[in-house]
Amino acid sequence: MHDKLIRIEAEKIEKTFAKTLLFRNINFNLGKGDSFYITGPNGSGKSTLLQILAGIQKPSSGNVIYTSDNSVIESEDYKDFLGFTGPQVNPYDMLTSIENLTFTSTEPVDENLMIEYLEKFDLYRHRTKSVKYYSSGMKQRLRLIHALINNPEILMLDEPCSNLDSKGRDILYRILDEVKNNKILIIATNEPEDINLCSKGINLEQ
Amino acid sequence: MNNRILNNIKKDFLIESRNRSAINISFAFAGITTLSVSLAAGGVPFTPVVHSIIFWIILFFSAMSGLAHIFIREEEEKNSLFLSLYYTPEEIYLSKLIFNIILFLSISVIVTVLYLFFLQVLPVYLFLFILTVVAGSIAIASVTTILGAMVSKAGSGSSLFTVISFPILLPVLWTAISLTSVSIDGTGIQEYRNILFLLAFSGVIVSVSYLSFKFIWTEL
Repeated sequence: MHDKLIRIEAEKIEKTFAKTLLFRNINFNLGKGDSFYITGPNGSGKSTLLQILAGIQKPSSGNVIYTSDNSVIESEDYKDFLGFTGPQVNPYDMLTSIENLTFTSTEPVDENLMIEYLEKFDLYRHRTKSVKYYSSGMKQRLRLIHALINNPEILMLDEPCSNLDSKGRDILYRILDEVKNNKILIIATNEPEDINLCSKGINLEQ
Repeated sequence: MNNRILNNIKKDFLIESRNRSAINISFAFAGITTLSVSLAAGGVPFTPVVHSIIFWIILFFSAMSGLAHIFIREEEEKNSLFLSLYYTPEEIYLSKLIFNIILFLSISVIVTVLYLFFLQVLPVYLFLFILTVVAGSIAIASVTTILGAMVSKAGSGSSLFTVISFPILLPVLWTAISLTSVSIDGTGIQEYRNILFLLAFSGVIVSVSYLSFKFIWTEL
């Protein structure tokens, strides 16, 4: 979609809630082909850091800087480069998977691509059911399709394997292996298999 | 941007058509309140001012029962992050505003027809009456859309919505009541210029809401 050279730089990021320090002095620099994990115990701020990187939350101090061919991207435009999913990202229960994907696809909507992803994630036969009838694993598969379908330059996945069975995990790992060399991949996780996918990362416990 | 606003409106209508309870409750509220007033009146003739006050009280509470729903639903069903990931705050605001204007104009049509029929009111200046209902409804929808967004983010539901809406809508109700009264009894037609106040009020509220919506919607 975008052939520009995208980079993300995290600069001395700190987050506090009330007077509780969650993390501080987080620094890293990521470019195309980098895959990065964020791990740490429950409550250490993995999801918060991922949301800060996605521009969904603001850090208490420090900066996240996105650049495209060395020019800075405004935070309102991050979503044009980003595929994000996590437990808080919920497609509409009253819509079918096709309707949800049509709603979030960039124009022009590529129905063949939708079908391809639904088949890959074994949801094609459920495409006309309302999402409210999906199991939690099926919902997770649909969330992952939403993150991937617009072919974003940056892929941010929060607990991507939660609720997935072994078949779902295999599908996800196969796809991430395919795409990670052409994107920036950031995963917030405690799963050793997810961590092994990545070339570098941070542990928020330290 | 236009296509994306249309996509969002289409999505909201699709969801509301499949989960009919919220919209149906709004329409039922409007219909039942109008019928209750006509039964309670029991054929006693009201003055034009009383007709206007009752008519706009029904419209005000109909708005309170239904217009915050479009934002509260996004929060209650935990879809707001999903929506925000794919749509800009401006696209979200404009689509919800258009949805609320269409919904409230539909509610107003039902209330108006029932009210005129059951209370046997025939405005002298029918065109002014219709214009007042349309301009007043747009003003109410404009105010309630942005307040609905605030209330949904505050997580306080519809009771707070009514409390904070009333003082802001007071000038609208005041003007609309006076114009409706004029259109029913046919005196003081020079007041028709107040229609401009209703339209200007909507314009100001929509402009301020458009500019400030991203600070209300995004938790930054």
